[in-house]
Amino acid sequence: MKKIPDILSALALVTGAMLLPAVPAVADGHSDLSCGLNTGKAATGEPIKVGGINGNAPPGDFSGGTDAAAAYFDCVNANGGINGRPIQYIVENDQWNPELAGQVGTKLVKDEGVVALVGNGSVVSMAVNAKLYADEGVMAMASACAISDCYENANIVSTNQGPLPSGIGALKFAIEELGSKHAACIGFNIPNNGGWACDWMNKYMESKGLQGSSILMDPTAVDLNSIYLQALAEGVDTILLMLPAGPAIGLLKVAEEQGGRDQFKWVSPTPIYEPGVGNVLGDYWSGHLYVNIELAQYDSDGPDNKNWIAVTKKYGKDGDRLDTFSQSGFISAKFFTDALLKLDPAKIDRASVSEAIKQIVNVESDLLCGPYYVGDADRHMPNHAGRMVLYKDGGFETVRDCYDIDTSYLDPIRAQEKALGVTQ
Amino acid sequence: MLKIYGLFLVSGLAVGSLYALGGIGLVILHRSTGVLNFAYGAIAAASAMFCWQLVTWEFPGPVAWCLTIVAGVFLSVLYGRLIAPGLAWREPAVKAVATIGYTLILLGLIGFIWDDSPRKLELPTDKIGVWILGVRVTVTRLIALASSIVVVIGMIRFLERTRIGLNMRALADNRDHAALLGIPVVKVETMAWTISGALAGFTGLLFGDLVRLDPTVITFMVIPATAAAICGRLESLPLTLIGGLAIGVLEAMLTLYKPLAPLRTMTPFIVAGLVIFWMQRGQRLTFVRDR
Amino acid sequence: MARRISGKNFITLAVVLMVIWLLPLLLSSLWVKVVTSAVIFSLAATGVSILFAQLGLINLSQVALIGVGGWVLLRLNYATGLPFTVSLLAGGIVAAIIGAVFALPAVRMRGLYLALVTLMAAGALQILFNAFQFPNGGEGFWGVAQQSAGDVRRPFLAQTDGAYLRYVMLVVAICFTIVGMHRFAAPGRAWAMIRQSEANAMAAGVNVTFYKTWAFALSGFLAGISGGLLAGALQQLDARTFVAGDSILLFALSIVGGAYHWLGAIIAGLLFKLLPALFNDFGISADLTLVIFGIALLHAIITAPKGISGQILAGISSLAARRRVSRD
Repeated sequence: MKKIPDILSALALVTGAMLLPAVPAVADGHSDLSCGLNTGKAATGEPIKVGGINGNAPPGDFSGGTDAAAAYFDCVNANGGINGRPIQYIVENDQWNPELAGQVGTKLVKDEGVVALVGNGSVVSMAVNAKLYADEGVMAMASACAISDCYENANIVSTNQGPLPSGIGALKFAIEELGSKHAACIGFNIPNNGGWACDWMNKYMESKGLQGSSILMDPTAVDLNSIYLQALAEGVDTILLMLPAGPAIGLLKVAEEQGGRDQFKWVSPTPIYEPGVGNVLGDYWSGHLYVNIELAQYDSDGPDNKNWIAVTKKYGKDGDRLDTFSQSGFISAKFFTDALLKLDPAKIDRASVSEAIKQIVNVESDLLCGPYYVGDADRHMPNHAGRMVLYKDGGFETVRDCYDIDTSYLDPIRAQEKALGVTQ
Repeated sequence: MLKIYGLFLVSGLAVGSLYALGGIGLVILHRSTGVLNFAYGAIAAASAMFCWQLVTWEFPGPVAWCLTIVAGVFLSVLYGRLIAPGLAWREPAVKAVATIGYTLILLGLIGFIWDDSPRKLELPTDKIGVWILGVRVTVTRLIALASSIVVVIGMIRFLERTRIGLNMRALADNRDHAALLGIPVVKVETMAWTISGALAGFTGLLFGDLVRLDPTVITFMVIPATAAAICGRLESLPLTLIGGLAIGVLEAMLTLYKPLAPLRTMTPFIVAGLVIFWMQRGQRLTFVRDR
Repeated sequence: MARRISGKNFITLAVVLMVIWLLPLLLSSLWVKVVTSAVIFSLAATGVSILFAQLGLINLSQVALIGVGGWVLLRLNYATGLPFTVSLLAGGIVAAIIGAVFALPAVRMRGLYLALVTLMAAGALQILFNAFQFPNGGEGFWGVAQQSAGDVRRPFLAQTDGAYLRYVMLVVAICFTIVGMHRFAAPGRAWAMIRQSEANAMAAGVNVTFYKTWAFALSGFLAGISGGLLAGALQQLDARTFVAGDSILLFALSIVGGAYHWLGAIIAGLLFKLLPALFNDFGISADLTLVIFGIALLHAIITAPKGISGQILAGISSLAARRRVSRD
């Protein structure tokens, strides 16, 4: 009897099924578990409505952030809530559909009257709803954002770096350690996603006196083979996979078919960094794929990371994604909760919550390389320093610890940090 | 440089053979029954998903693949026996539109049964490859190309040499006369639905393996496959094969010309559009024949 | 037209105005958005219906033409200071011209091949939209920059979602009236003759080429207007809204709704946009809507060629007839 190819079960693993067993077990006891007030008593007061929008449909699943935020809020509610008031977390899926994204955004912000949005992760929703958030004065603490709109609006602050800093981080490493001279940035031709990130990649390469090329593909494109061949025809020495995990893995498969491992240096921003990815990639890529990660390794020993594992284990659902975006959603929810706990529970409304979020400055976590902050600014990008890991023997090993990037894109961000007294 | 052209030629033939296979399945059915089956892609998608399910249930590979083709035949004949006869005497366009209904039903059911999570279909032949013109070509891709050629040759011989093939040709030429002559119309048509369904299942299997196991993508591959069929005027199998392969190669080659590279997937539609314009040349305005 | 506004027409007008005024007041923000989309797609569905009901032609590219109208509106919005309604008309006209170009092959062929031409056009436009994206306030001809979309001006009196829904319903009502007038005027008569027999129509002195092209242009115009309205509603457009599959779906729903009456187009729009949103809100898989659509399409083609609207209207008139009988 023929066994199921490993890849099938592994891909199912990576892309949404049970990931829990893949995460290294941490001493279970609830010693690591810490949520909100830690009273151990369920909150019973009037619920505080908080929203979250994720995008989960082909070609990518960005629900890790809202999954983890939901788990954390459940834990907070079981531990005294926000000074006695539970958080009612309402999550919507935009299914990568701009029209639906607008509808669910309006539903949450106008009809449900949420005080803020937390854990958002989507490729379309922010582009559609940025204006709505600004008009309605509601803040969004996103977690799994991938388009420029997440980083260039006053009312949106995302805990994850997004493709731009993570991609540049990967390139910086490739230039310094692997000797890259000409990189191809392969991305989706989605507004403000692939084009935005790949443009800045090319500018970065140019600023180093090197060469960059963009290869943008239609997200519905059927033929990954010709995308790979395009990179081959371009004559590059490095390939940067600016794609969600699924398509990135597809492209690596094509490259494997063509024996392309040694023809290029392979680097990638965060999305491909998932526990269980080893089962899909197999030995072929071991020692040949470098990934920039936006938050700490998912098996690291910091207290927040251990808390993340404990919370998702106890309050998460079967099928929750436990990836970088999940860490990001967890820490966003934690920062949000901490900010709310400082407010008078009777006076929690949209205005006071937005103000409290803007007051967040210089909070730290072992999940992030630098301090997190929001402040009152026309754009936000608190997280831009990352780590580099190498895919090896089915897992990842750190090859460079926290390092920041140098790109003119960050100029306004650096000015903000200076004004707020934040030192990265 | 020559190596690069070789690369794209080989890659293009691989994609083109998928278009061609789809087109051939459409043409075989259309010739005998007058139905242009838009549900062809949905049948392929359903078969491919069914195959994935069987593999997940640890069915042995060969059994799963055979059942995939059986699934294609079942879904095709289901429509062919249940719905198609009721529309037999309607205009060709109406028959085609009805298959859109079947497409929607299948697509909805697939989406309901299998959620959106990315999946992968693999064949053992993916791991074996040969080097042609500097490109590693997996045996699966060779199977796609070879089978499209074999099907065309086989179908032509079948139509020429066998009784049922003769009947199919008769039906294609004139349905009314064929019926008057006592040709068992239902039997012959069922045969056509069977062959077309088997091809749909096979195409779905290859498409899910070579391109992507995404039901929506496979369902709408019927559009470029239709383009290939148009190249054969919905009648000629060899022309459909050539059309499909030519579209695939042209599409791949356009990758090399940067300004047009992002538009290269338009190739099937533009080629089909040009073929239609060329076909209708010289037709007079009056006495339009509804074909 | 010499006919005066009859009492019946006056009542219709009053009812339409009432609905336009009341509907936005009754709906929550989410449903205002959903109904706006549904009404907009009803207008596009009317275009499909005209071609199918009047000439028996199958148009599988209507959603792509909506994209064309939307593209033009966005382009003019960013490039010029033209009022919304002017840009809207321009979008309609450009889509009408492109629609008329599609008519080129239709003049000589009917049926299946025409359907295929429009399907190929829809496929090609889908890729064009994806390659060039929709204008968002950037420089150059394509007007696309890697930035958040700028403001899309709405009509002066229709800034809020609710007021914009009223504007949309008003525009759609006007367009329905234009279409209705066509049916009773020269084009409608010409179309009817062409439908019967092109040769006879020609012999009777009908300019077949002109009137066929006119039907396509009208259908394209309606698609273009709905595209502009959609751009105003969403404030930006995305290539994924205009895939070829949706053109096929809109055609199917126009048949399901019923191509022979304006009510059918409204039903088509509601099925296309409202039903999936309702399913989504109830937490039922939206995939099931496709199954329903598919069954409804087969039902319409095999047994109910006038669609849902035909059945509703037949129901109403038989009810009225029964009443009349019982009164007598």
